[in-house]
Parts: sequence; C-alpha cells; structure tokens
Amino acid sequence: MEKGKISSLQMAFMMYPTIVATAIIGVPSITAKYAKTDLWLSPIFAALIGYLTVYIAYKLHQLYPQQTVIQFTEKIIGRIPGKIFGFLLIFFYIQNTGLILRGYAEFIVGSFLVRTPISVIMASMVLLCAFIVRGGIEVLGRAAELFVPVFIFPIFILILLLIPDLEFKNIFPVLADGVMPPIKGAIVPGGWFSEFFLIIFLLPFLADMKKGMKSGMKSVFAVMMTLIVVNLTVLFVLGSTTSTKLYPLMNASRYISLADFFEHVESAAMAVWIVGAFVKISVFYYASALGTAQWLNLSDYRPVVWPIGILIVIFSLWSLPSSVDVSRNDINVFPLQSILMQTIIPLLLLLIAIVRKRNRKGTETS
Amino acid sequence: MKSVLLLLGISGTTPFLSGCWDRIEITDLAIVTAAAIDKNDNDQIELSVQVFIPSSISSGGGGQGGGSSQGGGAVTTLVRYEKGSNISDALSKLQSKLPRKVFWGHCKIFVFGEKLAKEGIREQLDFLLRHPQPREKANVYVSKGKAKPILESLPPLENYSGEVLRELSDLHIGMLVTMQDLDEMLTGIPQAAALPFVKILPPEKGQTKLQGIPYIAGTAVFKKDKMTGMMTEKETRGLLWLRDEVESYTVTIKPKGVKGEISLSPVSAKVKIIPQIINEKWRLSVKVITDGAVIQNGTNLNLSNPKSLNAAERAYQKDIEKRIKMAFLNTQHKKADILGLGKDFYRKYPKQFNKVDNHWDEIFAEMEVEVDVAAHIRRQGYINKPAGLSEEEVKDK
Repeated sequence: MEKGKISSLQMAFMMYPTIVATAIIGVPSITAKYAKTDLWLSPIFAALIGYLTVYIAYKLHQLYPQQTVIQFTEKIIGRIPGKIFGFLLIFFYIQNTGLILRGYAEFIVGSFLVRTPISVIMASMVLLCAFIVRGGIEVLGRAAELFVPVFIFPIFILILLLIPDLEFKNIFPVLADGVMPPIKGAIVPGGWFSEFFLIIFLLPFLADMKKGMKSGMKSVFAVMMTLIVVNLTVLFVLGSTTSTKLYPLMNASRYISLADFFEHVESAAMAVWIVGAFVKISVFYYASALGTAQWLNLSDYRPVVWPIGILIVIFSLWSLPSSVDVSRNDINVFPLQSILMQTIIPLLLLLIAIVRKRNRKGTETS
Repeated sequence: MKSVLLLLGISGTTPFLSGCWDRIEITDLAIVTAAAIDKNDNDQIELSVQVFIPSSISSGGGGQGGGSSQGGGAVTTLVRYEKGSNISDALSKLQSKLPRKVFWGHCKIFVFGEKLAKEGIREQLDFLLRHPQPREKANVYVSKGKAKPILESLPPLENYSGEVLRELSDLHIGMLVTMQDLDEMLTGIPQAAALPFVKILPPEKGQTKLQGIPYIAGTAVFKKDKMTGMMTEKETRGLLWLRDEVESYTVTIKPKGVKGEISLSPVSAKVKIIPQIINEKWRLSVKVITDGAVIQNGTNLNLSNPKSLNAAERAYQKDIEKRIKMAFLNTQHKKADILGLGKDFYRKYPKQFNKVDNHWDEIFAEMEVEVDVAAHIRRQGYINKPAGLSEEEVKDK
C-alpha cells in the first residue's frame, strides 16, 4: 500500500506543525479565558496528554508492528467492533480535517482576503494537499523537513521584534487562584496535544523504528515550548485583553513597529504560517486516506484521495454555519472528541491488547 | 493526452492562486491618515477623515516653494465628513462621497470629540478594534470641543496635522496612548483611562485661520468609557513622572538661601512604584532615581564646589518630591485610577485586592503615598562658574 520510508526525525517534523499551526492562532485566547495571567502554564499540563498519547501509540505499535490502528483493532477487539471503531476513527479524522480547513480559511478570510469566497480558499488548499498526499509519505516527510524551519523561523523573528513592546509585569500574579484555572485552560490545548495519536499512522513506515518514541516525545516537548513562548508573548503584549481577541498572536504581530517605518509585517509572517497549516492539513488528510483504504481493504490508498478531498471540503462547509460556531466547536466539542478518540479509547485498546497477549502466553505455557 | 490535461489543470488553477477578489490597486485606495469622531447635538456620530492626496507629493513640493501666500507647502490632504448613527453608518455614507475605497491601514491618529468622550466612547471603540484594518498601534486623543477642526488645520511645518500629533506624541511631552493601551485600560482592572487632550494653537496675526496647529494640552481623564475631567499640562507632567514616562524634560529649581534659579536638562528618571499593605492599610511607596545636567545657572553658586552642588541637589530632590506628590493628589482627587495602581496592587496582593475590587476607587482615593527621591546632578555643561560673575561675587564655599 505505502512503500515509502521516512526517518524518525521527519516524523517529528511532520507532527510539530500538525499541532502548532492552529494551536498558536486561536488557542491562546481560549486558554486566557480560563487561566487569565497563568495561560502560559496551561501548555505544560496539556502536554502531559501529548506524552501519554505518544506512549500509548508507540506501545500499541510495538505490539502490532507493520500495521496501523485500523488493521490491528480488528485483532484486538474482534472483527465487527474493530470495523466500527475504525469507521469512527476515520470519520473523526475526515471531519476534523474539514474543521481544520475551515479554521484556516476563516482566519484567512477574516484577516486578509475579506472578499474572497471561503470555498475557493478551501478548495485550493485541499487541491494542493491532495497532490502531496498522493505523492506518498516520503514526499510528505521531505516537505515537512523543508517547510518546518521556514515556518518556525518567522514566528521567532516576530517575537524578537516584539521585545520593545513586551510588558513583563503582566505575568503577575502567578497562580493567584490556585492551580485550577491553568488546568481548566489546559483542556482545550489538551485536545490539540491528543492529535499526536496520528503518529500511529506514520510509525509503520519509520526506517529507524527504535527512535520512534524518542522523536515523538521530542516533538511533544518542542510543541509545548512553542506554546509557552507564544502564550507568554501574547500575555506580555496584550495583557488583560488577550481573551477578547480572536487571534491574539495576529494582534500582537500587528503591534510591531520599529523606528516608525518597519511595520505592517504581519502579512508576511502569516503568509509563512500558511505553510504550517498546509503541513497540518496534509498529515490529517494522509491519515484519513490511508485509514479509509485500509478499512476497505484496498490495495492502494491513492484512488480514495480525491473523493476524500471532496468530503473534506463538504465537511468544512456544511458542519458549521459561522465563525462563531467554529470557535464554539473548538471549545466545547473538539477537546472532548479529540481526547476520547485519540487518547482514551486507544488506552483501552492497549490495556485489552496487553491482557490478551498475557492470557495467550498463559495458556501456551500451561 | 495526459500532458494536455495536466496543462489545462495547471492553467485552470492559476486564477484561484492569487486571490483576485481582494486585489486592490493603490490608485483605488483613499488612504486615511487621521480620523476624528464627534457627536453632534442630535446625538448623531460625525466621522471626519483626513485623506492623503498622492498626486500632491509627486507634482507639488519644491516647485511651489515658500512663495505661496499661505506660507506652507502644498495641501497634501483633504477632509471629508459625514453623519450617521455610528461610525460604520457614517463611513458607508462617506464612502459615497469618495471615489476611492477608504483604507484604514495607515491611520495612526484617532481623535474623539469632547462631547462624544463625555458621553462614552465604548460603542465607537468597538468598531476600531473589530475592523481588521485600523491598527492597535494607532494613537488615540481627545480634543477640546469638536475634533474635526484638528484634521482641517494646515500646519506649516509638517505635511498634515495628523503627522504633527504623532511627532508630538513621540517626544513624550504628553501621554502617549495607543488603541491597545486604551483597550487594556478599559477592560482591565482600573476601569479608568487617560488620553492626551488636544487643543489647537491659535495662529499668529496675519496667518490664515487654518494654520493653527494641534498640540497636546493636558490629559483627559476617563472613568469607564466616559470622560469625567481633565488635567492641565503641569499636572500631566507630574502624571508622566508617576507613570515613569519622563523623557527629554527640563526641571527648574530654586536652591535655598540664594537668589536665582538653576535649570536642569535633560532629566532622566527611573520611577519604581511599590504597592504595600501594612496593617490592613493600603499605601504606596514611590522610589525615584533621577539624574540631571545643568543647562542654566542663574544663581551665584559655583557648582564645582561639592557643598553648593549638594545644596542644589537637595533643592532638586525637594522639587521632584513635590511634583510627584501633587500629581498623585490630583489623580486621587479625580477618583479615577488612571495610573493603573489597581493592577500593581493586584499583581502583588491578588487575594486582598479581590476583596476590595468593587470599591477600589474609594481605597485609591484615601491611599497614602510615600515618595523617596534620590536626585543627582551629573554634569554641568561647558563652564563651571556661573557666567558673568567676578571671582568675588561667586559664592565659593
């Protein structure tokens, strides 16, 4: 089905924008709503879910190497339940690829291309992603390796340029109302960290399997650090208004002004951000396509790429009526759905698998 | 066949890649350089925009020179205004009077009229923060009377009046408040704001009426989003000391026991505000470290002498102490926490502050302040003894 091989580093590079690209745009504001001045602590708690998810995915993979989650669930919980879970998971990924696409397009339409129809922005992105998904995992891995530095670098330049406007006092008081607010604020980013479960689709194609776990963990750590830095920057620039902004990092980057003429850099920075969104959508798209093909027992996943692309656009357009609902979905539905599908159920699968293996061993020896 | 299809596919996608719907040529834009928002007696909003005329730069300038009767250069901006129930309504009507699309991206000045400020700016601020074009870094002002004349004035030195205000703000003569600051002051803990208050400097005799330029004449004090009072220029300077925004500043002091005054400039200062709660009593400790260089010495003190220098420094210290105390009393008097002290207290004592959150204004009004100034004179310019005095006249001990 997929004959390509990627390195573990490439996997880490693919996963980084998969979480960060959308997490730095809307999530700081949601976190600030609950955690107030402690919003920078939330990614630390949220990352625990990320570490757990990577661990679960890796352990599952160790039990069933060379197979993805769609294939081995049938072995763990039986054919019919396995198929049902597989379907739910594929449905979850296709639907969420749609929602990510919608989030990306809402941001572009809301800030830059005000008059462009949203469907055009979505369709052109999906078209591009479809090409890379058809290209296979190697193409995706190499693209990620190439684009991620291009994506990270401007974000840090942005933060550097903001240094004159940073109000470090805004960080106080630290933990004024105890640890509960930052933990509440961690629930939504936790949903994002859950997306690390996607590595289960990539692990079978690793050339250096042994480093899989380590790279995954490193990627979680990098995401956590990025989110902490972004949240701190946003807090230092916007202070108490952070939670009122829809895209805080965008507002902060608009604040850059050096020597009265070096300003209005946000368009350039955000143009590069699209590269990150591109990798994110591609990874989700790839997982959806590969999963669907495996679920249908096809010999190749390429024929389903185009139909799924159409499904993604339809899901993004039809599932939510307005940008208000997009953010409501991000707060109320997505974290629950994401953690349930990608962390809790896989954890149960892992437990069942371990118990079954042990039982089988037990019967063999007796 | 396949390559033909591929070629068709590629050329078919190109129109979608450039985002053609949002293509706007620069010649189709009316670039707003400053905007004024007023409220008239019928409770309607009047929006005036100062629009930059691009052709004035390319054709005007050197050719016209100083010979024109107006004394200034070519007119580089035009002002249009329109009434409406709110900004967006006025803007849509205004657009019908402008052949080019209004573009806010370069608008760095927003002036609120006095009447609007007194009745509340929140509704109008919402537009400025919500619309994707106006920038958070833009400066915000309140004008005496109507704001529209400020845009109409034709300053002789700068290209347009918006530029005058911006340059003045950059000198830190009055307060500099950006839209982001204003948003933070109103939504944050203090629930009070301060904006620079602008007046028009009347033109000299013989100049046309329009040649008066706007200048910063104090500070408008806001409680919530309504203007409740104002501070004079002198009080504003004290305010700047308390907010640690002192820059390029001149202090004139009168040492004890001698005639005449000593002026120090530039004066630099580091102000540290330390909130304290001692025995349930809320107080403020202000620590100031300030340095100055002598720029004029009208006394007969020889400042090379450590003793006289000491006397001058003492006078300097007393002067600053008095200024800061005055400024603090002034803000207390207005019962509006425009210094954002509530935030400072919250940062240090979050639990205690949350208890008094609802009557913070009263606590603020009764708070005691302790000012501790360390003043030093570091340089004395090119001469050491006071100018024009003989050896005997100089007090040299």
